[in-house]
Amino acid sequence: MVTTNNHSNEADIQHLYDISQSVTQNASWKTALDEIVNLTRSIFIFDNLVVYLLTPPHNSLEVVYARAAGRGRSAEADMAWGENIATNVIQSRKPILQDPPEISSRDRLEQPFVLGLPLNIGDECLGAIILIRFGGPVYSQDDIKLAGFISQQIALLIEHQDLREQFHQLEEQQQQYRLQDDFVSTITHELRNPLGFIKGYTTTLLRSDAQWDQTTQLEFLAIIDQETDRLQELIDNLLDSARLQSGEMRMQFQLVRLDSVLNDVILRARLHHPELNIHLNIEGSIEAVKGDPRRLAQVFENVINNSIKYAIGSEIVITIKSDDSNVLLIFQDFGPGIPKDYLPFIFNRFFRSPDAPNIHGSGLGLYICKQIILAHSGQIKASSEIGKGTTLSIHLPLSA
Amino acid sequence: MTRILAVDDEPLYQHLLKVNLEKEGYEVITANNGEEALDIVSNRHPDLVIMDIMMPKLDGITASERIRQFSNIPIIILTARGEEQDRVRGLNIGADDYMVKPFSATELIARVRAVLRRASNSDQATQNRYFTHGNLKIDFARAEVWKETKPVFLSATEYRLLIQFAHHVGQVLTAEELLMAIWGPQYREDKEILWVSIARLRQKLEDNPHSPQHIVTRAGLGYLMPPIEKE
Repeated sequence: MVTTNNHSNEADIQHLYDISQSVTQNASWKTALDEIVNLTRSIFIFDNLVVYLLTPPHNSLEVVYARAAGRGRSAEADMAWGENIATNVIQSRKPILQDPPEISSRDRLEQPFVLGLPLNIGDECLGAIILIRFGGPVYSQDDIKLAGFISQQIALLIEHQDLREQFHQLEEQQQQYRLQDDFVSTITHELRNPLGFIKGYTTTLLRSDAQWDQTTQLEFLAIIDQETDRLQELIDNLLDSARLQSGEMRMQFQLVRLDSVLNDVILRARLHHPELNIHLNIEGSIEAVKGDPRRLAQVFENVINNSIKYAIGSEIVITIKSDDSNVLLIFQDFGPGIPKDYLPFIFNRFFRSPDAPNIHGSGLGLYICKQIILAHSGQIKASSEIGKGTTLSIHLPLSA
Repeated sequence: MTRILAVDDEPLYQHLLKVNLEKEGYEVITANNGEEALDIVSNRHPDLVIMDIMMPKLDGITASERIRQFSNIPIIILTARGEEQDRVRGLNIGADDYMVKPFSATELIARVRAVLRRASNSDQATQNRYFTHGNLKIDFARAEVWKETKPVFLSATEYRLLIQFAHHVGQVLTAEELLMAIWGPQYREDKEILWVSIARLRQKLEDNPHSPQHIVTRAGLGYLMPPIEKE
């Protein structure tokens, strides 16, 4: 029953156009189906509409969409939903018409006229769509054609949605692989560089055809020493990150005076970087927190080293203060800052600023810091302004 | 004094190369990336370049490729293990040797000596980094083309085609030669692609593409960039 009036041929075409429009323009297939069902109802009579899909892994039949629009909404689950016909349609991949066994009964709900259509894409059958009219009218040839068109549209819709989901999954996987690849090549590069220097400067000292004065010898040895430390640090970071990732890192909690931990860290930083301009402001008296002093020192060291690496020559100001429930540590530098686009990712594993490819690092440091602070039930946050500098703040809860 | 240019973005590698080579009596200039290297090669005429591959701004492979457009100065490529493809590419674009990081100081010196020895036996033709042909000017180091004072934007293929002519001024190049050189053996019969490219190149370079001055057709033979009479 495509048309009820002769003059509405144009209106039908408009409807078909609208239906195909819903298919192409809706992001979600549920919304699209809702629209299609509504549009279809004005040109095609049905009481129930069900979409069954074959779903992996065992190709079992699932209901993915159902609408009861007309008679017998009140009958709910008691009325016919055509699941047997759906199975037959999928097996034969052809439309199936089923009239009610006898038309004598008074109850329309016992006289379902069922039309089942396969959802075919190429030579694959995705499922079936079932249309039911209680108590007729019988489906005409035009009805069947129109229903065929709609089922094709729905098949396209579902396939499109499937492909999109698969595409997104693949994209995510790819992103993950890319991160791992980048990580492997970063690590290889970071391991190889110190090795290259150690090899290069050692063999320079070992040259039998050249003499080096003592100052030069000491300079080469200092480089070798420093590069050995860098290798050590890198390997430690890799191990820490793996342990944190698998939850195997145990914290040794005790009462910790953060100001004295910070003083130690600053002392060590000054030893390695004699020209370093670093200040510690202690505001008020700072109560002890429960924490692992070695791991907290590691965090502070890492944050300070980041400022030394990325905010070259900048002053570093550290403020420590406490309120009723937290100790707050603020690490501030006045370097080039971190671009807004990168800020949300700096605590991610393997993230490295694409703008500073020459600065050594594994992309693990801040990840490790965040995991350690989280293990202390604390918080670590970064804010930054280009050209002005970067501020890292750490909240640690006071022990109750 | 033999002058060596050491190009690496790692200051510690620069230093390593410098101390060892200076001990051998060479003069050493350092550069941080390919761009700096190109400027130094064209301005200070070193006798040898030691070039790292992975560098910011301009990588070592591209830089070496550009150096080869105007100079056959010996180049030693520095690579990391596992970068076999880069090594092959380096040798393909005309590097003379490669050295794998980490390397020992003695290996470095041995290779530098060997490459310099080989180079002294062949004639060193360092041409100008700039090439001019009438109102046309090519900067090989920057891979830029200028017509009068205006830059001309060429596709990679068009640029390579133009370079072929610039390197063979006065010499007729057959379609097959050009196709082999620029597109590769599988294109040797594909004359139409060459015609289209030459037509496009003329559109961009010639004052009047119908009466070309820079790339002239020799019917039945091929194409050439005619020599310019010196006034």
